[in-house]
Amino acid sequence: MAAPRRKRETGAAAPVGYTAIPIKLSEKQRSPHYLYVKEHKVREGTDTTHPPNRTLFVLNVPPYCTKACLSRLFSCCWSVQSVDVCEKPGPREKSEAPKSKFFNLKTVPGFRVAYVVFKNPTGIQAVKSLSLQGPLVISSESHPVKTGIRKWISSYAASVVDPVELKAEVDAFMQTYDQKIAEEEAKAEEEEGVPDEEGWVKVTRKGRRPGLPLTEAASLRVLEREKRKRARKELLNFYAWQHRETKRENIAQLRKKFEEDKQRIALMRAQRKFRPY
Amino acid sequence: MRGKTRADGGGGERVTDNVEGDMEAEQENQDVPKKGKIQGRKRTSAPDSVVKPVKLSRADLYKPPTNEELNQLKETENLFHSSLLRLQIEELLKEVKLKEKKKQKIDAFLHEIHTLLSAVPETPETDLVDQSWLPTDVKVPFLQVPFSVKGKFRFLPPAAVKVVGSYLLGTGIKPEINVDVALTMPRTILQDKDNLNQRYHRKRALYLAHIAHHFSKEKLFGSVRFTYMNSNHLKPILLLQPAGKDEKLVTVRLYACPTPGFFKPTRLYPSKNNVRTAWFLEQGSPGEGATEPPTPHYNNSILCDTVMESHLLFLSGAGADFPGMRDAVALLKVWLHQRELDKGLGCLSGFLASMLVAYLLAKHKISQGMSGYQVLRSVLQFLATTDLSATGISLSKDAESSLPTLADFHQAFDVVFVDPSGLVNLCADMTASKYKEVQFEAKRSMEVLDDRTVDGFQLLLMTPKPLVRTFDHVFHLKPVSKLQGACKKMQLLTELMDHGGNYVAAALPFVTSLLARGLAERVMLLTHSLPQAPQWPISAEPPKHKDAGHLSFGLLLTPEFAASILEKGPEADQPEAAEFRRFWGEKSELRRFQDGTICEAVVWGAETICQKRLIPEQIVKHLLWLHADIPASAISYTGAALESLIRAGPEPAGTGEEAMASIVRSYDDLSRKLWNLEGLPLTVTAVQGTHPALRYTDVFPPAPMKPDYSYHERMKAKESLLPLAEKPCPAYISPMKVVCHMEGSGQWPQDKEAIKRVKAAFHLRLAELLRQQHHLLCRPAATHTDVYKDGYVFRLQVAYHREPQILREVVTPEGMLKYRDTEDSQQLELETLHLPHLTSCLHGLQQQYPAFSGTSRLAKRWVRAQLLSDSLSEECVDLLAAFLFLHPAPFTPPSSPQVGFLRFLHLLAAFDWKNSPLIVNLNADLKDADYTEIRNHFVAARSHLPVMFVSTPRDQRSSVWTKERPSTQILQRLLVLALESLRALEKQLMDPLGSQDMKMVFRPPLDFYDILIHLNVKQIPRHLEGVDRPAKSFSRGMLKSDAPVKTLFFPVVGYDPVQYFLQELREAFGDLALFFYDSHGGEVIGVLWKPSSFEPQPFKVSF
Repeated sequence: MAAPRRKRETGAAAPVGYTAIPIKLSEKQRSPHYLYVKEHKVREGTDTTHPPNRTLFVLNVPPYCTKACLSRLFSCCWSVQSVDVCEKPGPREKSEAPKSKFFNLKTVPGFRVAYVVFKNPTGIQAVKSLSLQGPLVISSESHPVKTGIRKWISSYAASVVDPVELKAEVDAFMQTYDQKIAEEEAKAEEEEGVPDEEGWVKVTRKGRRPGLPLTEAASLRVLEREKRKRARKELLNFYAWQHRETKRENIAQLRKKFEEDKQRIALMRAQRKFRPY
Repeated sequence: MRGKTRADGGGGERVTDNVEGDMEAEQENQDVPKKGKIQGRKRTSAPDSVVKPVKLSRADLYKPPTNEELNQLKETENLFHSSLLRLQIEELLKEVKLKEKKKQKIDAFLHEIHTLLSAVPETPETDLVDQSWLPTDVKVPFLQVPFSVKGKFRFLPPAAVKVVGSYLLGTGIKPEINVDVALTMPRTILQDKDNLNQRYHRKRALYLAHIAHHFSKEKLFGSVRFTYMNSNHLKPILLLQPAGKDEKLVTVRLYACPTPGFFKPTRLYPSKNNVRTAWFLEQGSPGEGATEPPTPHYNNSILCDTVMESHLLFLSGAGADFPGMRDAVALLKVWLHQRELDKGLGCLSGFLASMLVAYLLAKHKISQGMSGYQVLRSVLQFLATTDLSATGISLSKDAESSLPTLADFHQAFDVVFVDPSGLVNLCADMTASKYKEVQFEAKRSMEVLDDRTVDGFQLLLMTPKPLVRTFDHVFHLKPVSKLQGACKKMQLLTELMDHGGNYVAAALPFVTSLLARGLAERVMLLTHSLPQAPQWPISAEPPKHKDAGHLSFGLLLTPEFAASILEKGPEADQPEAAEFRRFWGEKSELRRFQDGTICEAVVWGAETICQKRLIPEQIVKHLLWLHADIPASAISYTGAALESLIRAGPEPAGTGEEAMASIVRSYDDLSRKLWNLEGLPLTVTAVQGTHPALRYTDVFPPAPMKPDYSYHERMKAKESLLPLAEKPCPAYISPMKVVCHMEGSGQWPQDKEAIKRVKAAFHLRLAELLRQQHHLLCRPAATHTDVYKDGYVFRLQVAYHREPQILREVVTPEGMLKYRDTEDSQQLELETLHLPHLTSCLHGLQQQYPAFSGTSRLAKRWVRAQLLSDSLSEECVDLLAAFLFLHPAPFTPPSSPQVGFLRFLHLLAAFDWKNSPLIVNLNADLKDADYTEIRNHFVAARSHLPVMFVSTPRDQRSSVWTKERPSTQILQRLLVLALESLRALEKQLMDPLGSQDMKMVFRPPLDFYDILIHLNVKQIPRHLEGVDRPAKSFSRGMLKSDAPVKTLFFPVVGYDPVQYFLQELREAFGDLALFFYDSHGGEVIGVLWKPSSFEPQPFKVSF
């Protein structure tokens, strides 16, 4: 999010359609950082996760400003229903599985965008007035934001996992997974050899006569075998024209190599590579 | 699903590369203009500096060949290795040969000199010692010691002026074009006994001094100076350079010669004496009855002057109808120059090279139809196989019995090559050890020429081999005047007389043979620099022997023996024992050996490997002091100048080899334990370490650590320690990754998420079992298990061999299963496949070459000291270092970290990264055909490939370790830094008196950065690893490793606040700036703005 930050240098002037809200990490800081906000508007139905009218679109969220911080900052306008921080604007990908505490941990780095969903549309209007007030403070005494050494120590502490918890989660996941696989297999077995309504029977890798696997490697192998078979039948340098052709090819190769060498030499000459010392 | 995928292994990789490549190609194209801007100065004439595959039209490729073309193609095949070599040699010759236009200018200059010479006025006859006629602004270019000598001198214009030497033969090469002009002194100047006591030499000197005096007034000359011919101080010569802008064009060298036939050859035979002892020692009357010793070198120096013209005639006779000879001599000169063999006293000069070619022609070893390249090959082959110090050669045809025999010459000289007259030894001043070096070089060069996988041209003719970069250990003798004492000690009066008082030349052969005997099988080759005389203005006194600068010696070590601490001598009761004792002095003592014998032996004190590497230093210093009175203070030995940079503590600590060996021991024990674990559902099939310490290339290998509880916060529930914010951060404990391959089985799930869970379950299980069965402190996590063992922390990672394949699976809409590389799969492959393999290969390499570890670590230390830790991958540096050992040509594999590091810098700076792949043939798995294939693929796909392309047998086409980094700009900067560092370092190493602060090249220039972020040293965990050891250090919460405390809590692992900070900086501002840091205790982070950061950009919500 380089662009908006640069705008800031020219003062609090926000780009068209946006409102600039000054924020500070702590009271000690002298110059504020600006968040750019506007009402989240997209064509009907393209974004289902962020309801229109009550969603605020926030740009230029600094790395030290977490979800909780945003929620707290904007709660002065209206109570916040949810906050969504992501790298790029756009609808949130459907989170398929329940979030795991140990696997696929992803943090959004750098300066980000956020969607703040208020409980009521009036929140949006209230936000616009924030720009006129003094900077909002992210880290206060009641709600300190950990930075630097303290932050790293706490993230180190978080990286130390509790084996029991981890084991429980793994077991639970594997149980569902095994169940799923078992179901799929049972279904496949049921369909084995049973023709569909047009009478086609699906050939699978299971059963008495397994078919070829439908993979790229397998089809390449077949092609390769064909080629080899053909090559075995062919006689080399049998006919006079074949002989001629080989010779011609040989000379062509030499020529090509010569040309390449010449090019290389020209290049080296240009780089003065032939000065021995 | 589960059953079906077994059958199809591999297969998918090859196709996938192309897809990737195309995407990269686009990025690359955008980069090109940037590249041009950065180095525009250098390549103004090169329109496009990348070799592209040639596209010839069908018509061009298949047109019927002309006879001429066929001939040329055939000739190239027969006479040269390849057409590339032929073209390269042609280009080189064009570069070094003199242009026709320049020749005309030189000819005109020579004519003018000729006329001036006849106009030099005569002088009246005076005594030789009465030099008052010579104006005071010209000094006699001769060391007149002792001064008094009989004889009379007058100046008369030369009887004949003739151009001799390379200019007429057309074998002179740039940049130093010399024209040798022989002036024949008229007979009346010379007297009967001029061959005695340097009389002839002094007349020569006076003769030239007079000419110099007159020439110095002429406007024609830009400079008139003296020097010694081949640095032989008996033979001054006059150097003339034209005035004006052509000053550097040519140097005319005037030689004074006697009238032909004046000296009787019989008087100058090698066995004859011509310098009287009484005269030399300035004693009144000759000692009664004493026989005078022969003075072969002195005699030879007179004889040389008598045959100059006949040599020219001989060479021009040989060169007639032999165009290849001219080329060959030019090539040989370049070859010699690159090896620093062509200058100084006892060099193998260009003239000698021509004589060698002529000799081979005379002996029908070459024919006139040969090309320059073929002649070069033959000469090298000849040098490689003939030892002129044992069996000399002669060009003399007549078998006249009166001439001295080869045996006579061998008696008098080290190296024998007799000229056509049968009188002169052309190699008179060469020492045996110098010739050994020539032979050694020739042998190496022949190997290079026979190896089809390397670019012989580049290695033989274009790569300079300075002393410090060639030899493992180098030492300087300074001041050389100490050799005067050596002469006295070794009783070399005869040699001193023979060399006219030149104690350097007199003592050198003896010093080298002394050292060669002492070092014996520890060295492959021992050589010395050639003493070189400077040029000096005619008004200055001639330089004394001690002005020859310092004398340098180079040792090429044999890795097997160089570090042995024992020198075993003969058994005590053998007669040789006394000789052994005499040779080694009081160092020799009687010792009983395991086999029961009692022998004389010398034992050198050395504890650590780095001390053992310096045993040759102890030997050199001991022997020189014992036998030559040269004190250790006069020897500046550089063999381990840089090792303080990879030393973990103050002096007694070793340079890490021992530390890493102990880590490897601990690791071996762990892997044994893993193999034998009971209770795992699947067996362990392989345990492979991937941490650099396990391949001996970690700059500072982890030391065993015991945490001090009082410095940490305790997490009771998880049995772990946490750092405390208010204390200095704990010492860095690097987790050593160990990949633990599990047996393949149908039980493994075929889904990537499920595999992750199963692996986590394994990690939990491993921790549990190791704790139960071996009482190790373990801490499992989802992606690994940390094991605390012997004070080290190992990080076990379970791997399943099919996982990368599963990550690659893509199902097309038709239901076809395809394999496409993804970021995850590549990363996993890197970690579980490539890295373990590399680690085991390099571990093997270290066993073969003990200096590999030091080399690679110095290289890494240097890269990181330049704040480029994160710009070049660690493995890439390892591979570059491995290259130096596997493909050392034209050098030999380094046997000391210092020389290895110098060559690393040279490789980095000199390698043509743009147009060539660096092929590292690990385990010699690549064959000739593979080389060609890699090169062809490289040329065809250059634009898609990383800027630095390193190919190994297991990774021939994608260069996995340089894929992401370095970027073009970083590489460029790296090259500049390497070049500068190399220059500075070599200067320091060659200068025995300099300040010797070798760390200079490890201190990065900081003025280059836009912003410097100074870090709080309290929070730099690796602060002690800094290039300059910090004055103040903090307690980092670690107990001594032998403290009697049982560690029950897991120490803080891999916690480096600086790295966290850097990561946050890069995440937040990576698009605006680049961040540079030295991960070994750097105190600053350098920040460089990206040029685009300050350009106004339109407002965008996303990009």
